Parts: sequence; C-alpha cells; structure tokens
Amino acid sequence: MEYIVELKNVSSSYLGEAYPAIRDITLMVKKGDFISIIGPNGAGKTTLLETIIGLIPIVRGKIRIFDKELQKDGILIRRKIGYVPQTFSIDEHSPFIVKDVVLMGRFGKIGMLNSPSKRDLELVNEFLQLLDIYHLKDRPIGKLSGGQQQRVLIARALAKEPELMLLDEPFSAIDPLFRKEFIKKFVEIHKKFDLTTIMVTHDLGSIPEICSKIYVMRGGRIVEELKVEEVENFRERKGVLNDLPRT
Amino acid sequence: MISLGLRILLIAIIGAILAGVTCSIIGVFVVRLKISSIGYAMSHAAFAGAALGLLLDIDPLLIALLFSFIVALLIGPISDRSNLSPEVILGIIFSLNIALAFIFLSLLPTTAASISALSILWGSILTITIDDLTYLSILTTIMISAIVLFFKEFYAILFNRKLAEADGINTKPFYYAILFMAGATVSFSLKIIGGLLVFALIVNPPSTIMQFSYDMKKIIVLSPILGAITCLIGFLLSLITDFPVGSSIVIVSSLLFAISVVVSPKRRVIVQH
Ligand SMILES: Nc1ncnc2c1ncn2[C@@H]1O[C@H](COP(=O)(O)OP(=O)(O)O)[C@@H](O)[C@H]1O
Ligand SMILES: [Mg+2]
Repeated sequence: MEYIVELKNVSSSYLGEAYPAIRDITLMVKKGDFISIIGPNGAGKTTLLETIIGLIPIVRGKIRIFDKELQKDGILIRRKIGYVPQTFSIDEHSPFIVKDVVLMGRFGKIGMLNSPSKRDLELVNEFLQLLDIYHLKDRPIGKLSGGQQQRVLIARALAKEPELMLLDEPFSAIDPLFRKEFIKKFVEIHKKFDLTTIMVTHDLGSIPEICSKIYVMRGGRIVEELKVEEVENFRERKGVLNDLPRT
Repeated sequence: MISLGLRILLIAIIGAILAGVTCSIIGVFVVRLKISSIGYAMSHAAFAGAALGLLLDIDPLLIALLFSFIVALLIGPISDRSNLSPEVILGIIFSLNIALAFIFLSLLPTTAASISALSILWGSILTITIDDLTYLSILTTIMISAIVLFFKEFYAILFNRKLAEADGINTKPFYYAILFMAGATVSFSLKIIGGLLVFALIVNPPSTIMQFSYDMKKIIVLSPILGAITCLIGFLLSLITDFPVGSSIVIVSSLLFAISVVVSPKRRVIVQH
C-alpha cells in the first residue's frame, strides 16, 4: 500500500451546520511521513484531524485510510490511529487515575469481553516511562498540570500501538523551555515505532526537521504547501506569527 | 413457618437493598454524565402513565412502567438527533409528562382515583410483592452483568465519550444502554422509594463515595454497597420512627453525604495549603 491516508476532495461539516467546516481537501500521506499542519484559529485544522478519524461526517469526497474505506471500516481504522485531542478539559475532580487512562488507549485493541493482559499492563508502564510520567501513574489525572496531562494523552495514544498518530497542538501546554527537547523525543518515538504522523501546530518553531511536508490551512482549505526549509521564509513573509494563531 | 408480618418485612428489606444497589450503581453514571434530571423525568413519566392507567382502568403500575420505558428509550436518540444535551431533552420530556398527567387526572371521575395516581410519586414499600422483587432482581442482575461484561467500554465512555469513539469503541449502543438502564431503574424503584425521592438514592451514594476517591473503579464498586446500607438503615429508621420509608432513606443518604463533605480528605488537602 502506497498511501496510509488518502483524502480526495473532502468536505465535512459538523452535525446540524449548513456549511462545511473544511472544503475540498486533498491530502495524501505516505507511510513514515511526518506532516505538519499550520494555520490561523478556526482554519479547520482540528476539524481535518477529526474528519480523518471519522468523528465528523464527510459530505463530499472520499477518504481511505490503511487502504480501507473510512465510512465502511471506521471502527477497525480507529483502533489503529492514536489521537491526541487539542482542547481536552479534564476537570480537577475527574475520578480517573493516570495509569488507567493510559490503559484505556488499548481498550479498542483488547476488544469487547476481553480483559487486559499482562502485556497490556507492561506496555502501559513502558509508555509512562517513555514520556517521563511513570512517577505520576497513581495520581488522579485532574490533579496534573496541563503539560503533564498532555503527556498522559500522548502516552494513551501510543499505548494503542498505532500506525498513524494524529496530534492536535500536542505541545501547547508543555513548558516552552522543555518543548524543543520534548519534540526531539517525539521524533525519536515516531522513528522507533515506524509511525506516520500528522501534527497540527501553531508554533512554527515546533516543526521538526524531519517533517516531510507542511500544509497551511485557512478558511477550511489547504491554501499552501511548504517544505521545512521554507518555514523561516514563510515566517518572514507573513510577519512574525502575525497571521498565525496564538491559541 | 414465618409469620405474615415477618414475611412482608423481609420482602421489604430485600427490596430496599436491591433498590439501593441498582439506583446507586446507575447513579455513578448519572452523576458522571451529568444527567441527574433523569430522576424527575422518569418518575413523572411514570406518574403520567399511572394516571392514564387509572383513566383506562388498566393496572396503573403497568402503564407507568410502559411510559417510563418509552421515555428511557427515547432520550438517547432524541438528544443525539437534536444535538442537545440529554439534560435539555429530559427537561422537555418532564414538562410534557406533567402536562399529560394533569390532563389525565382532570378526566378522572373522582379525586380518590387521582390520589391513587399520586401514590406512584410516594411509593409504598410494604405493599411490594414477590413478583416486584423478582423483577427488581432481574433488573439488578442484568445491569450488574452488563457493567461487568462491558466494563472497559462503559469505563472509557465515563472518561470521555468522544475519545472512546476515537479509540474504536462503538459508543452509541453503550451510551443508550446507560440512559435506558437509568430509566428502567427509576421505574422499578417507584413502588419502593417513590418517584420523587428515588432521585436522592441515585445521586447521593455515588456523590458521597466521590468525596473519598478519585478512582472510578472503586467508585463503581463502593457506591452500590453504600446504597444498600443506606436503604437498610433508612428502612430501620422508618420502622422506629414511623416516618415514610422513602423519606427515611433520603434523610439517611443526605446525612451520609453531609458527613462525607465535612470529613472528605479532598477538602482537608485544600485546607492544609
Ligand atoms: N463543534 C462544532 N460545531 C460546529 N462548528 C464547529 C465546531 N467546532 C468547530 N467548528 C467550526 O469549524 C471551523 C473550524 O474549526 P477548527 O477545526 O476547530 O479550527 P482550528 O482547529 O483550525 O482552530 C470553525 O469555523 C469553527 O467555528
Ligand atoms: Mg484546533
């Protein structure tokens, strides 16, 4: 299979909305690609990721993922996608423990009526360690900082052993001082686990070198395509982050 | 041979315990998913049903059950289709049922008949029969088995329905099942604790346990245990004081909740800072 993700002229809209939130998107992603998506607030970046994972119904076009039709095999496809959502408000009193939240990532894979095996639990520990949150494993998730919660959600997505990772501004709450280091770590993870990654970001500085392509979105469309080398240029052309989101 | 009085008492006690278990276990879902209006909505659906039953001269409890079952089946699909939260749909259903109940009651020939419809709202634990007990046990068994068998799915939905869906869990049937079980629980508890007070038994024990634990797994196990104890103590209280059973149970559970808020370690931590 050549492409992991194939979107052809896709428009999708939220339930009950008259106008599609993303329009005429064509996006082809090869195995092993690292794709970044940038664009101002409301450009449709989150919508694009949620469309790829099948949470938002498409009104036009075609989506194939892992060489399967999304509308037919959605559930099977979702079991192989790690999704790290953007705004995810976990209330302070949320009664869930970190290690259980990470284990939850494996539930789809474990399958109905089966219990988690020893290997499932080992994987949870492995990813907790990988993301430097092992010491937090018995804490309630609501009691962690935003950056720590993001790490938990990334661990949760990775614990699924996905083939495709969708990250929605995954480093936004992580301390800028550690962000560079964390991105480096994520790139290592991307390589080590043979992932294909699509990452939405508002921080041009957090686009890694290995990024194969950068798409600029605006008004629900992909309006430009950049290479990593062109990012600096783009930044100057647009004025420093002038036209880019500050979320 | 046990005496008739003892037999009635035993049936009532078992009924109270079963109601405590079912209400409190579904209560964990109701509290977490913030759909506590399901208590009012269901009991008034039952009330409207009972009124219609009296009007048509059919067993009022049967029609009451039928009404609440229909409501239980409708909440999920309507809230999904209308893109509104179940709380809003419950509010609409609640007032609709009150309106229907008033119409049915106004058509009833005598006030005595209206009063017997009202008994649905109060409950009468000493009149429950072996049959009632059987239905309630079946409901309790089905519910606990479903939650144990599909624990992962329910658990993931309690954390976040959207993420659960993104993980490849087909959340719709499970979510509808939660709403339906909540509705069925209310209907089956009507006779024991009454439609107005069943709400307290759904919300109070899980809320009490949540004062002590951040672990959903423990909350799901401990809430029904506390619910059963609450009902038992409440029942004994009503025997001693001659208060109505439903009210006694509510008073006990509210008291336990109040104590838990005062002694909760969650609050102590805040004080220490
Ligand atoms: N739940 C929703 N229902 C309806 N419209 C939405 C919803 N979420 C986002 N939108 C709309 O879809 C468009 C794209 O939003 P989004 O994908 O969140 O943008 P971004 O992630 O690029 O900031 C916006 O116009 C927004 O108003
Ligand atoms: Mg977004």
